[in-house]
Parts: sequence; structure tokens; C-alpha cells
Amino acid sequence: MRALIVEDDDTIADFVARGLREAGFAVDRVADGDAGVGAASAQPYDVAIVDVMLPRRDGLTVIEDLRRKKIVTPVLILSARRSVDDRVRGLQSGGDDYLTKPFAFAELLARVQALVRRSSRVPEPSTLTVEDLVLDLLSRRVTRGGKAIDLRPREFALLEYLMRNPGVVVSKTMILSHVWEYNFDPQTNIVDVLVSRLREKIDRPFDKKLLHTVRGVGYVLRP
Amino acid sequence: MSSGRNTFGLRIALWYATLFVGGAVAIVFLTYYLLSVSLVQRDQQLIRAKLGDYAAAYARAGARGLAAVVQSEQAVTPERLFVRVVDRGVESLVLSNPEGWDPQKLETVTAQLADGTVVQVGKSTEAREDLLARFRAALGFVTLLVIGIALTGGWLATQSAIFPIRRLTHTVNSIIRTGRTDARVPIEGATGDAIDELTLLFNAMLDKIEGLVSAMRGALDNVSHDLRTPLARLRGTAELALAGPANVDRYRDALAVCVEETDRVLVMLNTLMDISEAESGTLPLTREPVALAEIVSRVVELYKDVADAQQVELQSGGSLPADLKVDGDRTRLEQVAANLVDNAVKYTPAGGRVEISIGREADRAFFRVADTGPGIPSDELPRIWDRLFRGDASRAERGLGLGLSLVKAIVEAHGGTVSVDSQRGAGATFTVWLPILSPM
Repeated sequence: MRALIVEDDDTIADFVARGLREAGFAVDRVADGDAGVGAASAQPYDVAIVDVMLPRRDGLTVIEDLRRKKIVTPVLILSARRSVDDRVRGLQSGGDDYLTKPFAFAELLARVQALVRRSSRVPEPSTLTVEDLVLDLLSRRVTRGGKAIDLRPREFALLEYLMRNPGVVVSKTMILSHVWEYNFDPQTNIVDVLVSRLREKIDRPFDKKLLHTVRGVGYVLRP
Repeated sequence: MSSGRNTFGLRIALWYATLFVGGAVAIVFLTYYLLSVSLVQRDQQLIRAKLGDYAAAYARAGARGLAAVVQSEQAVTPERLFVRVVDRGVESLVLSNPEGWDPQKLETVTAQLADGTVVQVGKSTEAREDLLARFRAALGFVTLLVIGIALTGGWLATQSAIFPIRRLTHTVNSIIRTGRTDARVPIEGATGDAIDELTLLFNAMLDKIEGLVSAMRGALDNVSHDLRTPLARLRGTAELALAGPANVDRYRDALAVCVEETDRVLVMLNTLMDISEAESGTLPLTREPVALAEIVSRVVELYKDVADAQQVELQSGGSLPADLKVDGDRTRLEQVAANLVDNAVKYTPAGGRVEISIGREADRAFFRVADTGPGIPSDELPRIWDRLFRGDASRAERGLGLGLSLVKAIVEAHGGTVSVDSQRGAGATFTVWLPILSPM
């Protein structure tokens, strides 16, 4: 997987590049709009991450230029603006997703992987597997080591979300918006309660723990 | 700038003067034309009448008889006519040709009798031309007068019409120069005309801008003030970790705290922005008919597990009428409900109960969250909606002190109100009132 980062802030470009490399991407970095168009036109990338505020040519123009050249690399837009209008403008210029700064790297990675999945047109799997944990998307049944596990709908939704992003740390905010479709920050520990109930069912009866808490960041499902 | 304004006034004045003068000149020409036409017609009628008389006299008594009639008549009339008889041949007989008459200035009518004789009667046009000439002079004078009045009047009228605009320009200039938005355009002797309306609108716009600017200043003050605390914690944690002995576990802990604090700063920033946008009326609301019953069931679903874990009974009370709808932004209203339920669940001790109910009173729908928690002391009640106010009881809990401010700001942006009823030890009841959406 090749990823292109078009971002003029060194620190942000640095940590995004490092994180993506750890996740198995080959990463190229450029720091201005012209170079971004050049790089994306010169070779095919599986995904591009483009900042909106760039020197020489702003991010939205970069995306428009690429789309005009029929380059269909999926683009994740990074922006410091969070208004709905900005989001809409970003998607209208040809971007595929929009992420507001500051962001959790986990969220960026999840979105990047979703973009790659969507564009690679790999047929949607009917089962998700992590180690001996298997989730059947069609029958909505979950087994671990062949033993059936009975999950309530929200628990199933959370597990599906974690298994679609194996190895990716997902934050509480991400879980809240994916599992409940609520976009706000509750003060109570709604997410912790759900996670601990899920852990109770998929991890506690087994020796190997799959669902881990990353303090300060979120949760991750990994072998 | 100033010459531009004067040119504008002059242009309007000239424009009006041209229209006015054009109209006046058209009327003058029409009058003149009608007068001259009617004078010609009158002369012709007179001549025709005489011609009839003379033709009859000629037929009765021949040329001689006619000459006698003409002579006797023309001798006594003040306005003498030209009369001539032409025989079948070429011989013409002038019966009357008043001295000094120029044949060129004759209005004549000719009649041919049965025997081929031609009788011609003419009348001098001199008197008529004279009258018309005097009339032309008078009209010319009147036209000049009209042009003068039009220019002066137009100028004066334009000046008085432009004066309020100048006042407006002056105010705008002073605002641009000084940056003070508290200046207002004075209104004198309001007549309710278009200019007064513009002035009123302009002042209203200034009020709105001033409100926005001060809301933004307020938000900025709040942000800079309230970010200091979490930033201080952030810095302190990092500094402490760096100052201590190198130890991976300590570092990991410190970094985790830093990430958590950063998230908290971000949430605070977003919430403060939401509040000030909602308060200043710039928060975009995607309005649609929203059934309150759906909001209740969603929020109950969201908090069911947390309430279970805290051994708090969370339930929707009474009936949930499915047709009770309000016009609002679904996500924002869910946020309001979630914030209220979040608070209620958080403060209600194990064994307590949180009850959510909806209903209507007159033209308002309500959404109510009642808990059996410790209640709010009466001296804190008026301040709970303030930004970042945290009561004694809430300081121990995790939170920003922004939840209720956000609730109030969002509800008020929807044209609703919030109220609270609580006594120490007797729980708290929060009610959101929203304008009901009347069924179509």
C-alpha cells in the first residue's frame, strides 16, 4: 500500500508518516500543493492525505486538479476548520473523507484503511476473523474457538467495528459515533461500560486476551 | 468621495429636471398645435359661411348683384374679406381686395357654381399669425421659467433626499475610521419612508454586528481563560515526567495523561464554540420535524447500560406520544437530551431513579428529565446555566461545566426555553420547552 502525505506542518506530517509506516504503508511526503499534484500524477498511490492550507496551491485546488486529470486516488482531507460548510466544500472538490485537526491518529488510520478498502473493490467479506474469534456478518453470529458467544446488538456493533479495524486503536469518540451514531462527548463512561461487557464475553472465558485498553487513547483488538 | 456624492445629487437633479421640462414642453407644443388648428378651422368656417351666402347672391342676381351685396357688407364689417368671381372664361372679377393684404397670406376657399363660375372668398391670416406669435412668445417665457423651476426644485429636492444618505455615509465612515460599532445613525422626524426604513435597518444591522462582535470577544476571553487550566496540567505533567528519572512506565503514564488532557482541551474548545455560535445565532441548524419520542428512546438506549452499571433505574415515564414533534436539528436535540440524562445519571446515587418524560402544554412541547439525586442548593440554582460554573457537588465529578450552558444555548437557538426545579436532597427536574410543530 502506498500513501502520499501532502502537509506543510513537519510535526504532523512526521507523526502521520510514522504511524502509517507502522501500519504497513509505504509513505511519501511533500510539503506544498504543486509538489502534491506532481507526486500524485507521477505514480499511483492507494491513498492521499491532503491538508487544506498549503503553500503555493491549496489542498482543495490540488484535489480538483487531480480529479481533472482523472486521477482517482482516494483523498482524505485534513483541515483545521470544523464547520459543516467546510466539510461539504471539501467533499465537493473531490475529496473522499474529511478529518478535522487535531485528530487522533487512530481515527486517521481507520479512515485511511476504510478508503483503501472501498477503492480496492475487494469483495466485502462475509466473516471477520481475529485469531480464533470469528464474526459472521450475514448470520450475525460470533464464535471464539468454535464456541458460540451471545452478544447484544450494541456489543455486536462494537465488536464488528473493532474487528473491521484490527490492530487500530479506536478512541471513545469514534466508538460513540460508530456504534450509537452520537456525535458528542459524554461525561459518563458509556463506552467503558459497553467495552467491559464485551470483554466479559469474548475475553474473560479465554486465556489469550484480544481486547486491550490503550490508556489515554482508546481500545484495540489485536492478536 | 465628496465630489462623487455631489455628482450623484446633480445627476439625479438633472434627470428629474429633464423629465419635468420634457413634459412641460410637450404640453406647450400640444397647446400651441391645438390652438393654431382651431384658429384655422374657425377662419375656414367663417369663409365657408360667407362663400355660401355669396354663391346664393350670385345665383340670384348675377355678378352685379353679388358686387352690391359684397360692397354693402364689406363696408361695415371690421374684418374685411377678399372676394373674387371668375367667369367660365378667364376673366376674373375682384369684388373686394382690402388694401395692404398680401395675397400670399390669404386663407381662401373656392366654390364652383352650377354654371361653371368660380367664387373665391379669402381671409387674411395676419391677425391669426399675430395672435400665434404672441402666444409663442408667452410659451417660450413659460418654458424658460419651467426649466428654471425644474433645475432649482430638482436640486433642492435631491439635496433633501440625499441628506439622510449623507448622514448614513458619515456614520459608516466614522465606524470604518474608528472601529467603534456603537455609533448609530440619528433618525429625525421619522416619516416611515424608504430612507427611514434603510436607516432603521442599518442601525439594526449594526446592533446585530455589535452583538456578534461582543459574543466573539466573550468567547475568546472564555477560551483563553479556560484553556489555561488544562494547558497548565498538560505542561505540568510533561515537565514532571522530564524532570524525574528516566523510566519508560512513568513516561507512558505521563503521555497518557497528556493525551487525555489534550482531548479534554479539544472537547472544551468545540463546546465553547458551539455555545457561542448558538448564542450568537450562527450555529447552523438542520431543521426537520423531530419526534420527541424517538429522542427519548435513543437516549434511554444510550444510557441504559451505564445506568444499570450504577444501579440507577432509567426509564421513560408515562406515555410517549409518537406524534409529538418539534421543528429542530435532530443531532443537536439529541445532544441536549443526552447532556441532561448524562448529568442525571452521573449525580444519582445507586438505588435512585431517573425518569424521562415528554408531553405538551398549550403550544409548547416539553422534554423532562427528573432524578432522585442530591438536588441543587437554591443559591446555586441561578448560576448552573453559566459557562464553566461548577457547583460544590459537581467539582468532584469529571466534567467541564459546559453541559448545561450548551443545553441552554441550543434550546434557545431553537426558540425554546429551559427550566429547572430542585431542592437540596429532593432531586432535580430539568425541563426543556420547545415550540410544538403543529400537525399539517
